[in-house]
Amino acid sequence: MEYFLHLITLFAIYAILGLSLNLVVGYTGLLSATHAAFYGIGAYATALLLTVSGLNFFFAVFLGIILTSLIALSIGSVLSKFRDDYYALGSIGFCIITFSIFLNWQDLTRGPLGISGIPRPDIFGLSFSSSILFALLALIALGVTFLACRGIVRSSFGRVLKAIREDEGAIQVFGYRTHTYKLLVFVISAAMASVAGSLFATYVTYIDPSTFTILESVFILAIIILGGLANLRGSLIGALILILIPELLRFAGFPAEIAGQTRELVYGLMLLVLMLRRPQGLLGEYKL
Amino acid sequence: MDVVFQIVANSIIAGSLYTLIASGFTLTYSTTKFFNITHGVMTAVGAYTVFFLGKILGMPLLLAIIVGVLFAGLLGWVLNYFIYQPLRKKNASQLSLLVASLGAFTAIQACISLAFSSQFQTISHTAVMQKTFSIVGASVTQIQLIIVASALISFVSLTFFLKKTRFGTAIRAVSDDEEVAKVIGINTDKVIGIAFFIASALAGLAGILIGFDSAIEPTMGLALLMKGVTASIVGGLTSIFGAVVGSFLVSFVENFGIFYTAGEWRDAIVFTLLIIFLMFRPNGIIRT
Repeated sequence: MEYFLHLITLFAIYAILGLSLNLVVGYTGLLSATHAAFYGIGAYATALLLTVSGLNFFFAVFLGIILTSLIALSIGSVLSKFRDDYYALGSIGFCIITFSIFLNWQDLTRGPLGISGIPRPDIFGLSFSSSILFALLALIALGVTFLACRGIVRSSFGRVLKAIREDEGAIQVFGYRTHTYKLLVFVISAAMASVAGSLFATYVTYIDPSTFTILESVFILAIIILGGLANLRGSLIGALILILIPELLRFAGFPAEIAGQTRELVYGLMLLVLMLRRPQGLLGEYKL
Repeated sequence: MDVVFQIVANSIIAGSLYTLIASGFTLTYSTTKFFNITHGVMTAVGAYTVFFLGKILGMPLLLAIIVGVLFAGLLGWVLNYFIYQPLRKKNASQLSLLVASLGAFTAIQACISLAFSSQFQTISHTAVMQKTFSIVGASVTQIQLIIVASALISFVSLTFFLKKTRFGTAIRAVSDDEEVAKVIGINTDKVIGIAFFIASALAGLAGILIGFDSAIEPTMGLALLMKGVTASIVGGLTSIFGAVVGSFLVSFVENFGIFYTAGEWRDAIVFTLLIIFLMFRPNGIIRT
């Protein structure tokens, strides 16, 4: 039972990451590899606020969102000037710079040692230290994210995003400031990733920089490309499949110490095969 | 003053390594117009081939090095033949080629980690050519002189090859316009295949030289790739000479940058340079 609750919690965290990245990559057509950075900023902000100042969980999550949004605003205002592969390249650059800050700003982040002893959420005396309550909290966060994303993509704002993806020049002719739209969706998506980071940090109670590398961004990209770009249900299915694959490998008898590398091998090959055979993924409405 | 000479010497050595990576990257980019991420992992492929043949199987070092360079080149050719060429035939976008190469990169890196563990390793049992010379106050080892010589030789021969041979003319024709090159009877697939072979072999050589100079790890490719890409963009992505200029600009900025800050910030410094160039001079410093 504990094990299933663990999988449900992981699924919810990665589904939030997938849904939010899909807004940028799938709906707006911008290939961003910075997502792991925002996931990490949210996780570090929450971890530090909870361990150092002992703030209330919700307040820490909220401050994490504010901080991540501000950083996303500055990174996004640079990235929004680019298109296509230059956008992708710039986003890889920002992801590596952020990782380098997690690793080397030792006074703040304690570098490779990471931050341990992060308390589980405690809301109005209701402690989320049990797995079932935490899984419930993660699922609620996922539900809210899903509804928010659905609201965004069905709104007129979402239609402008899709128009930018199809033909940025044409929508500019109609007087839309595409730069602002690209920036805004980037910030919204980063804020959602920050929530996923807060959940992750309080769930595993220990974080270190190695979780937030560029490979984590590639993993989240694999989730949404497998599930299908510009399809929110696809991101849920993609997260479910990619969370379950390593568990299946473990049941098939692969030793735990090579689990991480096997996971990388599987999703690397998967991206490759998808691009060759089915670039739109399982349910995708758009292909890169 | 001595310390300045030492930084200059270090910059020249690093610039030579980046030259090997960036000139190959520029060669494949100019013929295929996509950011080939797998180019980076070829450094690890070359280095680990020498590690396996020389250190584990006990093959003579020089032979192991030659096999390592050829194997990296061959793998580059194979990836192009089985992945990138079919994708180009399907008119896949640059972004889907980029994602496919990101997948291949992740998968190959994971294979190397699975086979040889993800620890730092030395490439051979004995220290090779570590005799130190003192040149105008800067100390350099024999292997570092070989690095500089290799970069010089490959730059001169690559330039000669591109300017003076029929094959080089064909590569330049494909870079200018693949369709026109095809119409006048150039076998563009073969030309691009050979460009991939040369580029990957040079990256493999860079990885091997790094192995003899310091140490190797499976994830060495990403930072090297991003520095090579930065150098190529600074150099304008069209000429080998540009790539060389870019490589030395990157290495001087990096080495003087870490002198004023600290060694662990080297990646962040280089990617800040990349983002500055993407913002203000996306076509590089050399106008063609």
